[in-house]
Amino acid sequence: MKNNPVYRREVTVRSRSFRLPLVILIFNTILAVFSLFSMYSTVAQVRVSAQVSYESFLQLYAFAATLEFLLLMFIMPALTSGSVSGERERQTLELLLTTKMTAADIVTGKLMAAFDQMGLLVMSSFPIILLTFVYGSADIGGIALLLVCFATTAAFCGGIGILASSVTRRSTFSNVCTYGFLLLIVIGTLMLNQFVLQLSEMRISEAAYQFGAEQTVADTGAAVYLLLLNPFVTFAEILSGQISGGSRLFSLSAFLGARPENFVTGHWTAISLCVQAALSVLFVRGAVRSLGKNRRT
Amino acid sequence: MLKIEGLKKRFGNFQALSGLDMEIEEGALYGFVGPNGAGKTTAIRIITGLLKPDEGTVEIAGIDALREPRRVRDEFGYVPDEFGMYDNLKVREYMEFFASAYGLDGLVARNRCEELLAQMKLEEWADAFVDSLSRGMKQRLCLARALIHDPKLLVLDEPTSGMDPRTRLEFKEMLKELCAEGKTILVSSHILSELAQMCTDIGVIDAGRIILSGSMSEILQKVNESNPLLIRVAGGKREQALNVLKSDERVRTVVIRGGEIAVRFGGTERDEADLLRKLVGAGVAVSGFFREQGDLESIFMQITNHDTEKVVLRSEE
Ligand SMILES: Nc1ncnc2c1ncn2[C@@H]1O[C@H](COP(=O)(O)OP(=O)(O)OP(=O)(O)O)[C@@H](O)[C@H]1O
Ligand SMILES: [Mg+2]
Repeated sequence: MKNNPVYRREVTVRSRSFRLPLVILIFNTILAVFSLFSMYSTVAQVRVSAQVSYESFLQLYAFAATLEFLLLMFIMPALTSGSVSGERERQTLELLLTTKMTAADIVTGKLMAAFDQMGLLVMSSFPIILLTFVYGSADIGGIALLLVCFATTAAFCGGIGILASSVTRRSTFSNVCTYGFLLLIVIGTLMLNQFVLQLSEMRISEAAYQFGAEQTVADTGAAVYLLLLNPFVTFAEILSGQISGGSRLFSLSAFLGARPENFVTGHWTAISLCVQAALSVLFVRGAVRSLGKNRRT
Repeated sequence: MLKIEGLKKRFGNFQALSGLDMEIEEGALYGFVGPNGAGKTTAIRIITGLLKPDEGTVEIAGIDALREPRRVRDEFGYVPDEFGMYDNLKVREYMEFFASAYGLDGLVARNRCEELLAQMKLEEWADAFVDSLSRGMKQRLCLARALIHDPKLLVLDEPTSGMDPRTRLEFKEMLKELCAEGKTILVSSHILSELAQMCTDIGVIDAGRIILSGSMSEILQKVNESNPLLIRVAGGKREQALNVLKSDERVRTVVIRGGEIAVRFGGTERDEADLLRKLVGAGVAVSGFFREQGDLESIFMQITNHDTEKVVLRSEE
């Protein structure tokens, strides 16, 4: 793996650029400024009111984790969606394709390079996140779960990015496709559920008006399972489970209505992580296939 | 070394290759000539596995290139007509990158890179960034890169375009050297005379098929035959000479050009001698009898225009 030529070249080239250090600096500065300020104000409050509100530390943890998650969702596509199409635009892809490297080697190298940049960014901010542990927040298991979620989301976003960049000719178009698709998955599925929920509410109130039927709770039916694809919902589930003391299906409860828990809703986090991981694998395989085909059209 | 049979490729409703046949012997420096849009790049991309043909076979060093695309990549090195360079990468790193892309690593790779950079006269630039190199140097670097895995066959697509005459000459010398070292080389160009100085064999492609091929000397012979014989007659015996010429069936056209008779004559040198003997035998005072010196471009124009009379008309003016 470490011997992947594309990966090694990316690392060499990256070491000459100031971009990554700059991103790390800016990101951690924002995180640190906010965390320290929030801590300071909590402590100041304690001095005045003699009351410690532990929630604010949990909020701090939630904020740091969310910021990191959003960053991941924004940066991972940027790192991958220009990777293969960039080589194509620069007219270097054909040189690579006539070497002994396979399409899979090229895609893997590109993905690994994106992953370790991302990993660096996440890891570098860990000390600041750990700051929130001074007064207690999530436990180690919770942190580990969060990291698994980060890794899955990175793979998911990276997979979309690399697939788009293998299929399209231009990096700009690939960028647009990647962010568009991601938006559809993250915002689109939520909006769809919201819409279906409203329809359901309308139908219920109508029924109640006409027949005086017993008030039921609105739900979104099967549409809720689309949210399994949404990394943000998974993340929100994990986080809310941690800061609200283990209560499940925090963000989904509105869409689920009064429907009984089934296997999927009972294991939402695990199942959605698996679904997203499986999709990531499909995206990457799609990218490899499309690149392999490029060689022979 | 390279054997192509019946290669066909269609883009939409444009037939780019229509049954291309080609055979390159081991150790040959093969010039692949044709006008713009003839299908050179298309053929080369198929040879290198970047494009799939509709029909036909490609065999490199005995390996079916279409069936075993991965195995055959050990056998050839490719310099495309247009290629890019990476930013922020040094010449040495560029070479080592491609070495590892061919599975060469460590000391072996490093030595091979140094050796090739020296051979391509790039060792002074080993620590320069690749995108800062001049065009000629980039071309040499790309050639060095193509040689990294010591392939038997080198495929170069218009490598000398955009080079100044001096660089061009040096590049050709390099190719000759490589050929002398035992590499088989396929080099494309749209200028025949440029290849003539170095190639051992030539194939002329037009509209997707080979229309003329053979060793350089055979081609030159053909060029020679397509040029007119110029006959100068002393003492007003021109009529007699014309009668002899008209009665000879090897003579195709006769044009009177100033004081000379230009004859399109299809025959070998022996036939020429025979014609001269006939003329002298008929009492014609021949004071000059020679082939007009052929220039390669005119034959190239002639065969790629499918217009056999063109040369004669041109020389008449
Ligand atoms: N991908 C493609 N799609 C459609 N048409 C193509 C494609 N590639 C090549 N062609 C067409 O095929 C013909 C042959 O192109 P090719 O590039 O092989 O010519 P060439 O001999 O290399 O010419 P040049 O000397 O200009 O490089 C051209 O008319 C070109 O327009
Ligand atoms: Mg070309």
